Amino acid sequence: MDPLAVLKRNNVKTIGKGSKTLLFAHGFGCDQNVWQFVLGAFTDEYRIVLFDYTGSGNSEKSRYDSAKYASIDGYVQDVLDICEALELKETIFIGHSVSSMVGLLAAIKNPEYFEKLIFIGPSPRYLNAENYEGGFEKEDLDSLFEFMDSNYLGWSSAMAPAIMGNADRPELGTLLTSNFCATDPQIARDFARVTFFSDNRTDLKNLTIKSLTLQCAQDILAPLEVGKFVHAHTPGNEIVFLKATGHCPHISAPDETIRAIKTFLN
Amino acid sequence: MPQPPYKASLDPLIDLEALYQQAPCGYLSLSADGIILKVNQTLQRWLGFSNDGFIGQSFITLLTKGGKMHYEMFFRPILSLKSEVKELSYELRKHNGQVLPVLLSAIAIRNQQGEITLINVVLLDITERKVYEREIFLSKKRAENEKRHFQFMADQVPEMIWRASTRGEPEYVNARFCHYFACGQNQASFAFFVSKVHPEEKRNLLRQVSKSFRLGKELSIALRLLNTSGSYEWHLLKGTLFLKEENDDQGWFGTCTNTDSHVLALKEKDEFINIASHELKTPITSLLASMQLMEKLKGDPHSPMLPRLIGQVDKNVKRLNVLVSDLLNVGQLREGQLELHKGLFDIRKLIEDSLEQFRLNEKVEFIVQGAQGALKVFADPGRTEQVFVNFVNNALKYASGSKTIIISITYSSADVKVSVSDHGPGIPADKLDQLFDRYYRVNQPGSKYKGLGLGLYICSEIIKRHKGQIGVESELGKGSTFWFSLPLR
Repeated sequence: MDPLAVLKRNNVKTIGKGSKTLLFAHGFGCDQNVWQFVLGAFTDEYRIVLFDYTGSGNSEKSRYDSAKYASIDGYVQDVLDICEALELKETIFIGHSVSSMVGLLAAIKNPEYFEKLIFIGPSPRYLNAENYEGGFEKEDLDSLFEFMDSNYLGWSSAMAPAIMGNADRPELGTLLTSNFCATDPQIARDFARVTFFSDNRTDLKNLTIKSLTLQCAQDILAPLEVGKFVHAHTPGNEIVFLKATGHCPHISAPDETIRAIKTFLN
Repeated sequence: MPQPPYKASLDPLIDLEALYQQAPCGYLSLSADGIILKVNQTLQRWLGFSNDGFIGQSFITLLTKGGKMHYEMFFRPILSLKSEVKELSYELRKHNGQVLPVLLSAIAIRNQQGEITLINVVLLDITERKVYEREIFLSKKRAENEKRHFQFMADQVPEMIWRASTRGEPEYVNARFCHYFACGQNQASFAFFVSKVHPEEKRNLLRQVSKSFRLGKELSIALRLLNTSGSYEWHLLKGTLFLKEENDDQGWFGTCTNTDSHVLALKEKDEFINIASHELKTPITSLLASMQLMEKLKGDPHSPMLPRLIGQVDKNVKRLNVLVSDLLNVGQLREGQLELHKGLFDIRKLIEDSLEQFRLNEKVEFIVQGAQGALKVFADPGRTEQVFVNFVNNALKYASGSKTIIISITYSSADVKVSVSDHGPGIPADKLDQLFDRYYRVNQPGSKYKGLGLGLYICSEIIKRHKGQIGVESELGKGSTFWFSLPLR
């Protein structure tokens, strides 16, 4: 793909100075803005690459192809396209949530682009299975999807387009969702299904480079046991248990997150 | 001019504590980690918890599982990034296990370092509103389903269906339309449609359309439309003005039916009547001439002319008889009245017998090959002979240069096959398929060959009714073989 087209498609931004590159990949339902509290700690020493997955944030929505992005591979390809476009080598990839597995698959496919991977709240499989506690039953996820369908980023963003008919006034939908992550509700719905129904447990063992798992306390989406599973099944994986609660330590506890990343990098 | 009330008189009226506790909404204050620090009485009442039941609990425990995930994935990040969350639709768990639908708004309070110190939450009871919302969702879904059903139906019908604005711009066209013109839904503009109309009908179309649209009268025009293979097909375009429900908005609803085969069939029929009239007229003219001559010879019954004239009359009457029989046969076939009188007979004998008259009258050599001895079939002998004679007559007529005509009789366990081969000029390959069609003649009107072009059609119908097969093989310059087979049972 034409490098400029990739940079435009994924709204790629490069900041900071340094010979090493940190590639930050946001999780489901967000965009590159989620990294704003941690970036400042790295800009002096590293070149930082930020992007939005196709369909998320300020990416080119017209390039979103529901068939391509119906599996996690579509998102893996986004990361590889960006690496190729920027001619990245031995990059440090930092992925939140579903992006952990995106980074893992990208590094298995093209290891030369990456030096280390950092997983924030990773989960190789959200659904419970035989001898595996993912934390969710199928009904739980169905209830989340239902919840999202009627409540994407707030009542009005879900109801207004549904009632008024978004097709006639597309600017309305954009306006309503732009207060946080400018993600199209339909795309978010598809992304959620890709995220929560993927199973990458058997991919873990194929990683050939070093990685770090950042495990939060009381993370309902990626419970403690899941983090331990990732650590146990991924060769060369270190794990750090954060005091931060919830699923987004880079937002709720940026200092602790920065410290853990820096320790791993040095 | 009324004076604003003094602060002193306002204070006793507005009790801030009561306002907080008894507000028509729930108030909740959380720590940065989501631990409940303070809750008003309204919310306590709504959820059925005492104050102590709330304090120190994590807010997340009040949420359903879907809500918990949403809270972690959206509420917390949004609040951290924007310090404000507006109108999230959540469900809170009541003490008695029921759920309370609420609209949640929150604001984050930060210290000087920018850290969140407190989260203030307002909750509105939207139980009733939820009911209406669900109704709206359901009716919208129903409407969409209806639309899909109609669209599906519209796509199934063999006609083109369209809807247009008052100015004639298409707002909807069905799949048939897109298929005929090989275009997408959004390509279908009025100009696009006009560009597909045959030049001879364009002006009339524009005139009729503007007239109909002006007077609000129904539109009905026959026109030819360009298909994807570059030829024109006849269509009947119809349109009616209809009133949309809201604000008396008008539009057009219409169809466009392919009438090409119908128009062509009518044309074919006209042509056939033309041919039939000519064919019938020739022997009648000849008869009239013979009659006039005979009239003159009335007083001379021994004139040597008379037997020749009688011979001609006889020939022409027979000719008329054949033509009229053919026409009757076609009539019977169309009405499904062609009756078969089946019986067991020797087909080889039937062929030999019917060849006898040809051998007497024609200079051509007839050679019969294949099966020897009796070959019994169960069929209508008269109709079978009719088919065979038709083949032989055709060979004599269209392959007049042929010195021999070979008849071959072969059989298998399933059927018996009779072929008639000539050494005539042959028939072009592209004409072979149509030979057995009604009214079809390889040579167009005015050619040197006589006939209605019905013979082979009648033959094929007779054989079809016997559940047999009929066909032809031909090579230009070498000759043709017409064959039919009858099942042996």
